[in-house]
Amino acid sequence: MRALYPPGSDPDGRAFVLDESEDRPVAGPTRRFRFPHLRLGTWLGVVIMGAALAIACVGPWISIHDPNDFSSTVNAAPSDIHWLGTDDLGQDVFARLIVGTRLSLVLGTVAALVALLAGTLAALFGMASGRIGNLLVFGIVDLIRALPGVLFALALVVAIEPGTTSVVLALGLAFAPDFARITRASYLQEAARPYVAAAFVFGASPVRIALVHILPNITGALVTQFAIILPRCIVLEAVLSFLGLGVSPEYATWGRMIASASSYTEEAPHVLLAPIVALSVLTFAFAMIGDELRRRFDPARRRIMT
Amino acid sequence: MMAQLRGISLGIAAEVLRSFAIAVGIVVLTFFLLRMIPGDVVDVIGLEGALTYEQQANLRAEMGLTRSWGEQFWLWLGMIAGGDFGLSSRFAIPVTQLIGAVLGSTITLGLSALTIGICLGIGLPVLAAIYPRSAFVWLAEAITIWSITVPTFSTGIAAVVVFAVWLGMIPAIGNLSAPALILGIDIAGSIAKILREDMKEIESADFIRTARAKGLSRTRIVLAHILPNAMTVTLALVGLIFSNVLTGAITMEIVFGRPGIGTLALQAIKGRDYPLVQTIIIWLGIAVIIANLVADIAQRFVDPRIRLR
Repeated sequence: MRALYPPGSDPDGRAFVLDESEDRPVAGPTRRFRFPHLRLGTWLGVVIMGAALAIACVGPWISIHDPNDFSSTVNAAPSDIHWLGTDDLGQDVFARLIVGTRLSLVLGTVAALVALLAGTLAALFGMASGRIGNLLVFGIVDLIRALPGVLFALALVVAIEPGTTSVVLALGLAFAPDFARITRASYLQEAARPYVAAAFVFGASPVRIALVHILPNITGALVTQFAIILPRCIVLEAVLSFLGLGVSPEYATWGRMIASASSYTEEAPHVLLAPIVALSVLTFAFAMIGDELRRRFDPARRRIMT
Repeated sequence: MMAQLRGISLGIAAEVLRSFAIAVGIVVLTFFLLRMIPGDVVDVIGLEGALTYEQQANLRAEMGLTRSWGEQFWLWLGMIAGGDFGLSSRFAIPVTQLIGAVLGSTITLGLSALTIGICLGIGLPVLAAIYPRSAFVWLAEAITIWSITVPTFSTGIAAVVVFAVWLGMIPAIGNLSAPALILGIDIAGSIAKILREDMKEIESADFIRTARAKGLSRTRIVLAHILPNAMTVTLALVGLIFSNVLTGAITMEIVFGRPGIGTLALQAIKGRDYPLVQTIIIWLGIAVIIANLVADIAQRFVDPRIRLR
């Protein structure tokens, strides 16, 4: 059984373990590059991610049609001219789907970054600033977590005036508490370690300990959470667009496509299914990558990430 | 024993106080967040009914929209303290009546999904643990992967297209079984994921080896030894599961066009119906807070380790 797997990996592919019989490799020119031993799902995730990124980069040059060009045929079935047909305005679905890949990815990434920055910094500040700061920060965190995410984001988008900025801000704020929670759990684990005590004894201030000593040691957990939150941002953006409160109509995001196609489910279901399939495939890829990251960074399943 | 109980009640008191503070926070936040929305209900009514500026101004004064935010807030706070949530600005009916009309529908959807979620989410991992070489293992893995990879939003829309439009098996609007099933499987997956990981971990604990050495049957070991220990961790996530059910129910209602809290809230936000939106968000928020509080208290009684915190 054991022989089936290359040395240096465990049969479940859960964690990278060094073979005990082998000496620890010394840096040198003889060490060859080896493909990491990953599970099938992770490979799928990585390949899909790569494809999505490639499409996002070279996107507009793939399709012969302009995503905002109107043709005379409305709600047309897939053909060799329009690979995925046309939508209710006669725009090429394939071209819009490709442009949507870029927009959805960029929007989702920026929103997740906003959440990461806001959540992590607030939590670190809260943890470093003693009892009152802690109560205040995590009171707000619990407050946002108690509100249903869809409604909160919805109200926020309407309050700031619908548009790209407000969508990004609303998504970022809606997901910031998730990062705050992870940061707190990881912080508490790290704070019990000797290096934190050592830093304290050396006279480092709480803020310095939080930012210089603890933050670099919890990046694994944060990166993992980022991979979990990013697809959720993309989906929530799609939901907001579906409700007519996403980014402005000239941007062809997947949510926009779903929204406009959902009035024509009978005439042109393929127009609706195209962005949905794309959305699901991308979420699948992220989930697989996120799961792999979680296995790497949280091998003991301390369950601080859910 | 007395000291332990005092520890529990002190912890609970602190938790109750904290929950109350958060509830107050929700009330304040909701009020001012909604007042930041440009335009008010009179603008919306004015557009539809072609009111003159004079009529609009009169309507605003009548509704109290001309007062300052602070004044409005205190008035409203006094009202909800007396249990009066006000009239909907769109429909001129008490908001409680409007919400009450659709609450049952949302609760039905939520409870159906929760039942499916709990049955599958606990049943499958338990069966998988009792029969480790059966199809249950595969099923438990499948719903876990399904729930983390496919968002309910896209499954819902795909279900509308495939089952309602193409196959005509379910009505496209107002249907219960499809959204309940989709949401239920999603919830089941999230429960199964946590429970299965915990059960596997406990499986290798010393006391399970002892139980096996005593000659207990596999079923008994799983049901009486592994499950209760694994459940303490799952219990901590009851609040999270509850809020997931709520959010999921709202999304499903919007996707399936089912009347309920979600569709009502959406309509209210778009129509700038402040009293209605406020009340919905506050009620939902407080429901989640109470769920969290109950989960926390239950956990303190069930799991002695938590009292040490």
